[in-house]
Amino acid sequence: MASNDPERREEEEAGETAAGEDEDTGAQIAPIVRLEEVAVTTGEEDEDVLLDLKAKLYRFDKEGNQWKERGTGSVKILKHKETGKVRLVMRQVKTLKICANHLILQSIKLQEHAGNDKSCVWHATDFSDGELKDETFCIRFGSVDNCKLFMETVEKQAEAAGKKEEKESKEADSAAGELEKLSVGETKGEEKAKEEAPTAADEKESESTETKAA
Amino acid sequence: MTGEFEKKYEPTIVVEVHPLDFHTNYGKIRFYCWDTAWQEKFGGLRDGYYIHEQCAIIMFDVTACLTYKNILSWHRDLCRVCENIPIVLCGNKVDVKNRQVKAKMVTFHRKKNLQYYEISAKSNYNFENPFLYLVGKLAGYPNLHFVESPALAPFEDHIDLAQQQLHDKELIDAAAQPLPDHDNESFDKMKDLNHF
Repeated sequence: MASNDPERREEEEAGETAAGEDEDTGAQIAPIVRLEEVAVTTGEEDEDVLLDLKAKLYRFDKEGNQWKERGTGSVKILKHKETGKVRLVMRQVKTLKICANHLILQSIKLQEHAGNDKSCVWHATDFSDGELKDETFCIRFGSVDNCKLFMETVEKQAEAAGKKEEKESKEADSAAGELEKLSVGETKGEEKAKEEAPTAADEKESESTETKAA
Repeated sequence: MTGEFEKKYEPTIVVEVHPLDFHTNYGKIRFYCWDTAWQEKFGGLRDGYYIHEQCAIIMFDVTACLTYKNILSWHRDLCRVCENIPIVLCGNKVDVKNRQVKAKMVTFHRKKNLQYYEISAKSNYNFENPFLYLVGKLAGYPNLHFVESPALAPFEDHIDLAQQQLHDKELIDAAAQPLPDHDNESFDKMKDLNHF
């Protein structure tokens, strides 16, 4: 016991404000582990913040047919500086745990929540836990304006993602075709490769793909 | 444990151990939380439950005086097995307007050198503080705090048309379901929380 007379100690402190929350009333305890301070990586270092709003997130529990609270914190729309990929990342206030992390793809559809004009719902393949999971989310903002802003930003990025996907799939198709030819050429000798000589433009694209992969 | 609030109370059948992770400036910390079963109804837990325990949270309900009285025996049993481990006392349900155990009435922690937090599992008020306090004590670093865990780049996932249609239908159904009823009040409070 740190105090010989706990009763008296209590009396002395009775005049203080009720149960002060920042004060440490705990016992002195020897640490049981030794840890080294670590550098913090958010995983968001290479991204630009397109939007950052306070909100409350829910996920839909299909079995119970009800919304469940996922967390309160800040929701961000992030765009990667190099790949141009856009994603939504939301972290819980205080613990900073991730409560949503998914790409904004062309297929994303936002819909207003029937009973609340400050919130909207959508479906996503969420990566919060490091594995893909189908989730239906609902997000609730402090104001109608913030909800609108969020919806507009996501829809705009979804559209941009659609255009990007289209372009990339064309590129990927031609690049994949070229890679196939190249690998066939490598195994079966140069003759085969010469037979299906790629055009100059295709060749350029296949080169760039290989660089990325390396 | 999941951060989700469950209105319906489902008693634990046996002891369940839940891993609970936090990212701090001293790395990732994992608590193995022992969720004990109904045995407590029959005169508390057997000592076996407490062996090798490194820290503890004793919780009571500020809307039920009896639960505050019971912390005495919980604490006694715990201390009989575990010598000098950090213990946090938590008064839960402080969101309820007519609480029976007022903050000023909570004095047990001062007598026993425990840390005390008023919390609300429903509104998440102070919910992180017990863990932050315990890990700070166990590691001995007062400057220990929570940090962002890396938000990894999500894998690409290709959804076919049939799946897409199913999702669209689910979305319409979900959008028609009301948000949890307790939410209106807690969200109004959120407007004031400019610090997060």
